[in-house]
Amino acid sequence: MQGPGEISGSDPVEPIPRGYRVGGWEVTEPIAAGGWATVHAGRPVGEGPGGDDVALKFLLTEGLAPRQARMVAETARREVEFGRRTRHPRLIRLLDSVVLGEPDHPLLDGAIVLVMERAERSLRNRLDAGVTGAEGARLITEVCEGLAFLHRAGWVHGDLKPDNVLLMADGSVRLSDFGLATELTGTHGYAPPMGTFDYLPPERWKAPLGEQGVRVRPSADIWALGIMIHEVFASGASPFPGATPMSRAAATQEYADGRAPLRMDNAVPPFWRALAADCLAPTHAARAAHTAESLLARIAAARQDTEPEPVEEAGGTTRPTAGRRGRIRAALLAAAVCGAVAAGWSYAVRDGGPAAPAGSREPATASAGTVADAAGRIRVFNTEQRCAGRTDRNPECSLGLAIDPLRPYTIDNVVPTRVWHGDVLAVDCRLPHGVPIIDEVGVGSEEWFRVRLPLGSARSTAWLPAVRTKDRPEIPQCPRPTPVR
Amino acid sequence: MSGIVIYLPQAGGDAGGEPYGDAVTLRLGPGEAARFGRGSATTPVELRLADAAISRLAGEIRVTDDHWQLTNHSATQSYLVENPEGAGEYLRVPPRRAGAPIPFEFSRVVLPTRGSATVAFQVFAPDHVYLDPDGVGGQWGSRTVTAYSLDETATYFLVLVALCEPRLRDESPVAVPTTPQIVERLRGHAAGGRLTARAVSSHIDYLAEEKMRIGDPAGCEPRREARRNGKREAIVGLALRFGLVREEHLALLPPRAGVGAQDRETAG
Repeated sequence: MQGPGEISGSDPVEPIPRGYRVGGWEVTEPIAAGGWATVHAGRPVGEGPGGDDVALKFLLTEGLAPRQARMVAETARREVEFGRRTRHPRLIRLLDSVVLGEPDHPLLDGAIVLVMERAERSLRNRLDAGVTGAEGARLITEVCEGLAFLHRAGWVHGDLKPDNVLLMADGSVRLSDFGLATELTGTHGYAPPMGTFDYLPPERWKAPLGEQGVRVRPSADIWALGIMIHEVFASGASPFPGATPMSRAAATQEYADGRAPLRMDNAVPPFWRALAADCLAPTHAARAAHTAESLLARIAAARQDTEPEPVEEAGGTTRPTAGRRGRIRAALLAAAVCGAVAAGWSYAVRDGGPAAPAGSREPATASAGTVADAAGRIRVFNTEQRCAGRTDRNPECSLGLAIDPLRPYTIDNVVPTRVWHGDVLAVDCRLPHGVPIIDEVGVGSEEWFRVRLPLGSARSTAWLPAVRTKDRPEIPQCPRPTPVR
Repeated sequence: MSGIVIYLPQAGGDAGGEPYGDAVTLRLGPGEAARFGRGSATTPVELRLADAAISRLAGEIRVTDDHWQLTNHSATQSYLVENPEGAGEYLRVPPRRAGAPIPFEFSRVVLPTRGSATVAFQVFAPDHVYLDPDGVGGQWGSRTVTAYSLDETATYFLVLVALCEPRLRDESPVAVPTTPQIVERLRGHAAGGRLTARAVSSHIDYLAEEKMRIGDPAGCEPRREARRNGKREAIVGLALRFGLVREEHLALLPPRAGVGAQDRETAG
C-alpha cells in the first residue's frame, strides 16, 4: 500500500470519517495507512441485498507538489488500467474508481478512490500466524494460478510479496496492489524504479535506469515467487541470510555472483524446495525457463504422480501412506480441494441457458477421418493475440485440457498434455453443459469437447472448453461423464 | 546491492609523494574482499601501494551488506578513514583492528608513511540506503521503496538539485545547466561554494554511473561533449520523473544572485 511521493510533514494520515460516501459505498473502518494511500473498509449504501463489503483505497494528493500529485495519479492510473483490462478469480477485483470533488475538504479534494473486493487479511498476516504444509501448498498453488494468468495476459506484477497477496474470507488467494504492474511490450516492460528489497531479483541491483524506468520481465515475479515459497514453508524466513533487508540483498547478490550457494531451510518440503530453487535461478536467462505456467503444470503433475495412493484395501479402510510422498500428496490434495471450492464460485457465470458462444459455425471437416473413428476435428484457438501469432509452442501460450468438465477448472483438474493455438485435435463428442469457462476477453461458454490425447498419455481423452476453439463441428452429444477422481 | 568502488589515484596526490604506478579502479561485490599493501610474490595484494613505509600486507577491505569493513594488519600504525564531505569527520582504525565498519558513502583511507607524507585511496559505497520521505515509521523492511536512494545532504545531491533547478522552477522545459553554470550557481553555498568544474563533473558521473545507473542514451558514441549533455539531461529527466528531486529541495541551493551572475558566466 505504500508508494512514492510524500505527504507534507510526517503525521500519520488522518482517517476518513466513518460513514463517508464514495459512489455507492460508505466508509466503515480504517484498515491500513501507508505513505500517501489509506485503505478503509466500506459497505454498500442503502437497504436491499446490496452486495459485499469492499476495500476503499484512498490515494491522497493533498499537500503534494503538482509533480508528486501526478506520480500518485500515475500509480492510480496503472491500477485502474490494469483492473479494467484483466479479470481473474485469483486477482483482487477492482469494482470502481472515483475521483473525489470536495472543495471544502482539502484532504479529500482530488483524491482518487479505488473500490476493490474486500479481503480478510494478507498472506503476511497469515505467515505470522503459522501455516501448515497442506495450507502452504494450496496458497502457493493459488498464487501461481494468479501469476500464470497475469503473465499470460502480458503483465508483470512488479511488487509481488506476501503483503500484496490477500486472502479472502474463504481462504482463497487474490493477488493485489497493481500500482507497479507493467504491461509487456514484447519481452519486457518498464516500471518505476521501486520495489521491496527482499523480493527484488539480483539483476535488478545492476539494472540501468532508462527514461521509462527499469526494465522488468516476468522472471522478476518468478524470483519473488521463489522467495515466497520459501517463506511460506519456513515460517516466514527468507532463503537468504541476514538480519536486515540490506544484508539479505547483499547475500542475494553473493549468491547470484556465484560466491555463495543457495541454502534453503530443511523445513521446506523437497518438492517445493526444487520448485523454489528453479524460481531462484540466479540469472534472468536461467529463470526464464520456469514460467508460472510451467510451475503450475509441475504442481499438477506432482499431484498426479502421487494420485494412486492411498490404496483402498479389502476392508474398505484407507491405508495411510507414510513418508515424504505421503506428505506432499496430502499437501497437494488439500490444495486441490480448497482451490476447487474457491474457483467454483469465481468461475461461475449466471447464464444458465444453452451455450451459444460467438464464433463461426463450420461443418465437420472432410479430413475428420485422420484419426480413426473420431467424430470430427477442432482447431485450438487462443484469444490472446500475442500467442495466436507464434508457432514456437512457448509454454506461456499453452492451453490446458480438463480431466473432468463437471468439476471446477483448476490446477488439479488438468491433464499434463498442453495444447497450443492452431493444434488440430480429434474430437469425439460435445458436452453442452459443463462448468462454465470465461476466456481472457470475457467470452463465456459452458460447452466442452471431449478430445483424444496422444498415445502414451495417462488418459486417452480429456476435455477442451468450447471457448478455446472457433469450430463447432456436427458431432454427437457426449453421455454425461461420470465424475473422475 | 552492487558493492563498492575503490579508486587509487596515480600519484601520491597531496604533499607531492612520488608516483607509484597507474591509477587503479577496483569494483567489489557484496562479500568480496581486497587486500592492500606493498605486496610481494609471497604476499599478493589486490591494491598495491608502492611506498617503502607501508607493510607488504597493510590491510583488507571487505564489502558487507551496504557498507564495507576495514581490517588493519599493521601492528603499529593507525589508519584514518576520512569523510571528504563530512567537514573533518573521520574514523581512526587502530592497529590490528579487524573488520571495522565504515559508515561513510565516500571515504578517503589514509595510511601514514615516513615523515609527514601519506598514501591515500578512495572508497565509494553507493549502496547506502535512505528511507523514502513518506515513511510512517514501524516496519520498513517489507515496504516498497524507491530503489535508487540518494543522500540529500551529499554534495552530489546539491549538484543534482542545481541541475534540476530550471525545470523545477518551470523556467525552461529543456535547458539543463552546464558545468560552469553549476559552479557559478553554487558559489554562495557553504560547502558547495568551493567546487571546481572538475569536481562537479565527477559528481555528475557518480550520479549517472553509480547511483542512478543511467542506461546509455541511445547507443552510438558521438562527440564526448554531446554524450555528457545527454547524460545530464537523462539525470534531470529521471530525477524529476521519479521524484528523486522535488520542489522542496530548492531550499538547499543558495539564494540566487540575480541576473548578474549569469552575465559573468557567459563572459568567462
